[in-house]
Amino acid sequence: MEVEVAGIKLKNPTILASGILGTTGASLRRVAMAGAGAVVSKSAGSEARVGHRNPTVIEVPQGLLNAVGLSNCGIDEMAGELEIAKEAGVPVIASVYGFSIDDYVKSAGALNSYADAIELNLSCPNVERAGQFFGKSPELAFEAVREVKRKVKVPVFAKLTAEAGDIAEIAKACEEAKADAIVAINTIKAMSINIDARRPVLGNKVGGLSGKCIKSIAVRCVYEIASEVSIPVIGCGGILTGEDALEFIMAGAEAVQIGTGVLLRGISVFRKVSLEMKEFMEERELKLEDIRGVALR
Amino acid sequence: MNTMEIAKIKRVVKDTQRIKTFILDIDVSAIPGQFVMVWLPDVDEKPMSVSYTSGDMGITILELGDFTRRLCELKVGGKIGIRGPMGRGFKVYGDRLLLVGGGVGMAPLAPLAEDAIKEGKEVTAIVGAITAKELLFVERLKKAGVRVFVSTDDGTAGYKGFTTDVLQELLQKETFDQCFTCGPEIMMFKVLNIAEDKEIPTQASLHRYFKCGIGICGHCVLDGTGLRVCKEGPTFRDKELRKSHEFGYYWRNAAGQKIYFGVKK
Repeated sequence: MEVEVAGIKLKNPTILASGILGTTGASLRRVAMAGAGAVVSKSAGSEARVGHRNPTVIEVPQGLLNAVGLSNCGIDEMAGELEIAKEAGVPVIASVYGFSIDDYVKSAGALNSYADAIELNLSCPNVERAGQFFGKSPELAFEAVREVKRKVKVPVFAKLTAEAGDIAEIAKACEEAKADAIVAINTIKAMSINIDARRPVLGNKVGGLSGKCIKSIAVRCVYEIASEVSIPVIGCGGILTGEDALEFIMAGAEAVQIGTGVLLRGISVFRKVSLEMKEFMEERELKLEDIRGVALR
Repeated sequence: MNTMEIAKIKRVVKDTQRIKTFILDIDVSAIPGQFVMVWLPDVDEKPMSVSYTSGDMGITILELGDFTRRLCELKVGGKIGIRGPMGRGFKVYGDRLLLVGGGVGMAPLAPLAEDAIKEGKEVTAIVGAITAKELLFVERLKKAGVRVFVSTDDGTAGYKGFTTDVLQELLQKETFDQCFTCGPEIMMFKVLNIAEDKEIPTQASLHRYFKCGIGICGHCVLDGTGLRVCKEGPTFRDKELRKSHEFGYYWRNAAGQKIYFGVKK
């Protein structure tokens, strides 16, 4: 079930989403060897960052809530981790975040020769003036993508947030700036209060929600984006099964990213989802091309 | 699903100058070696070994930084959040067991010893600390019927030196089916080497910076293996640890940067 996204060949359409098992090369390599079509590293920035205090990741009945706070070892150490990740022979995508356009350019530039693509995190909900700050403004998203594109040679993906007023508008701005693909969506701002302790559970109080409960929002976003842009869209949000993934494909996605699914179905989730997609299509004698964007027509 | 449960402190035991045990009002059935995430609202959440694994849950805390200092200030009736027990505990197969614990590293080993004795196994423990007053669970082990050897760095109790010196000497005369170790990683690294020479299979309980504790963030993954300390660990077999060039050399801080235990390899 090979697919090609922005010139990058994937053996199957499942990609490890950023922020999940992506802190180190050894971890990314393990996921790649377990069957992911590609892996995305944890977002890195120009300086190492400790992130928020624990609890940073908690399970809630509807999914997963996290406020890791962009902790990362910094681009210099991340470069070495990406080299280890690449040993698995699967495309490695480096996610970068920034507090300024210069930040994005610097980090993307530093990691560009170690990765098959750069994913711009324009959608982190957990750190003020980073991520979402850029992904909610078509002008800033445009500028971030344009400047990074000027600097790097590998394809550039823009990861967007459903919390933008009009996500398709942001996607169009990214396309204008020559982004090679759109990734949608990131987690959605949420919180959990422990009623016995009477305190917010996350160290940062507010975090990002992922998992099954955001899937329908993500499908809607992919559908809206795919209606407006001609560059590839990678769907992300609540994909646990092959059926979930196919829904995204029918909304116009070329591939999907899986994060929270790793918690619920283990590291083999990529193999399982690919197999389930394949089974569905074989039973109906379909190919991915037959159903991609079918809901848009 | 691992939900946060609020537990009340039923009893506080001051084990040493710097170590306290909290007995909680939640029932537990944990395997020795498993851990819980301990949450102090508005402060932090960190992993801790379960030191009493049947009946009322117990955790044993070494006062080391801001979080453990604040935790140790709690009194009977105080509340903390608990997620778990999680991770993989020690696996006991043999009949003659050897435990090597340094400092607060005795926490997961003491319930292992108690369970093993109940099952009719023979247990020997080497308990080490920097000084006599910091020796943990020596009386608890003796009461359970464990043969105990003691070492202190300053010689205020037992052998003056390290647990590994006692281990080396003991293994000249005796052999064991299995060895279990928890404590400073450099100590565990040496224990593995010494036990390997004598072909004694060893399991070690590792400590790493945990964020999620549920195997999803990837922060505690061991280099060279891809194994998650919070999920496939925190106890590992020697064969697994041998594949990691990280074990005994470095760990990763909250940012994910490598921090070397001693000199860089």
